[in-house]
Amino acid sequence: MKFAAGLVVPLILAAVGALMLFARREKSEKYFDAFIAGARDGMQTAVKLLPALVALLCAVAMFNASGAAELLARLAAPVCGALGIPPEIIPLLVVRPVSGSASSALAAELFSRVSPDSFAGRCASVILGSSDTALYIIAVYFAAVGIKKTRHTLPAALAVMAVCVLLACTLVRWLY
Amino acid sequence: MLGKIFGVLCLISLVCASITGKLEALGGAAAQGAASAVTVSLGLLGAMALWNGIMRVLDAAGATRALAAVTAPILRFVFPDAYRKNRGISEITAAVTANMLGLGNAATPLSIAAMKALAENGRDEVAVRGRATDEMVTFVVLSTASLDLVPTTLLALRTAAGSANPGEILVPVWICSSLCALSAVLLAKIPSAVGRWLGRTIKPPADSSPPKMGWRKRRGDGMLS
Repeated sequence: MKFAAGLVVPLILAAVGALMLFARREKSEKYFDAFIAGARDGMQTAVKLLPALVALLCAVAMFNASGAAELLARLAAPVCGALGIPPEIIPLLVVRPVSGSASSALAAELFSRVSPDSFAGRCASVILGSSDTALYIIAVYFAAVGIKKTRHTLPAALAVMAVCVLLACTLVRWLY
Repeated sequence: MLGKIFGVLCLISLVCASITGKLEALGGAAAQGAASAVTVSLGLLGAMALWNGIMRVLDAAGATRALAAVTAPILRFVFPDAYRKNRGISEITAAVTANMLGLGNAATPLSIAAMKALAENGRDEVAVRGRATDEMVTFVVLSTASLDLVPTTLLALRTAAGSANPGEILVPVWICSSLCALSAVLLAKIPSAVGRWLGRTIKPPADSSPPKMGWRKRRGDGMLS
C-alpha cells in the first residue's frame, strides 16, 4: 500500500514528461505553454490566499494560545473517540463546509503542530481532499438560477460531509 | 463569511483567555500567526505552481475529453430527466470533469451553466414555485462532494509542511471521494423519491393532473417550444 501510494505522484509526473517528449514539436511546445500558464495561475492562487491566511492564521493562533482549542478538543474527545476521529481536527471539520481558505489555513496550522504524516494529519488530509465548501457551493449555484427553496440540499450535503469524515478516518486507520 | 469566522475565533479566544488567565499570550500569538502565513504561502507557491501546471498540461492533452467519455454514461444514469429532455447533460459533464481535473476557475461558470440548463428543464417548478427540481438538488449535492482527482492545494500544503510523502494520501482520497459521490447521489435522490411517493399516495396535489396526462402535457410543451 505504502509503495503504491508513493508511486502515484512520480507516475503522474512521468506521464506528463512522456507526453511532452513524444509529442510532435509544436504540440510539445503547446503543452509546455499550458504548463507555464497553469503554473502562473497556481502561483496567483497562492499569492491571493496570503491576505486571508494572515488574518485567519492570526485568529487561529490566538484561538490556540487562549486555550480554547484545547477546551474544544477536550469537550469533543468522548464523541470523537467513539467515532474514531482524532480530536485535533475538530476545528477543521467545523470550518470545512464554510470556507476554502479558512480550511487551508487551519490545515496549515494543524500540519505545523502535528506532522502531516501522523494519524491526525493524514485524516485531515483525506477529509480536505475529498470534501468541498458545501455551503458556499449551495449558495452560489442556487443564487445563479434565483432559487430560494433548496429543499433537502443542505441536510443531504451535510450528511455527505459526515459520511466523508467517518470514511476518511476509517480508511486512514485501515490503510496505514 | 471569512469575516464571521475571524470574528468568532477572536471573540472566543478573548473570552477563553480571560478565563484561563492567558490574556498576555494572545498578542504574541497573533503576531506569530500572521508571520507564519507568509512562510506557509511561500511554501505553497512552488507546489501550487507545479500542480496547476501539470493539470493544465493534462487538460491540453485531452484529459477533459477522455474523462467526459467515461463520466457521461454514468451521469446520464444519474440525471435521467436531463438526458430525456436532451438538455443539460453536456453542461453537467463539462462541470464534473472540470472539477475532477481541479480546474477551479473553469468549474464554477460551467456548473452555473449546468444549473441554468437544469432550471430550464424544470421550468414550471422553478419559475412558478421558486423551488429546486430533484436533479438540481442532486447536481448541487454531488458538487459538494469533492470530485477532485489531484487536490493541488492539499498536496501543496503537505509539501510545505515537510511531509515525507505528500502524495501518499491520493489513494485514500480517491476511495473516499468516490464513495462520497455515491452517497451524495443516494442522499439527494432518496428523499426526492420518498417525497414523490408520499405525494402520490397520500395527497395528490390539486393543481396537477393525473401522472400520465401530466407527462403527456409537459412533453407536448417541450416539442412546441
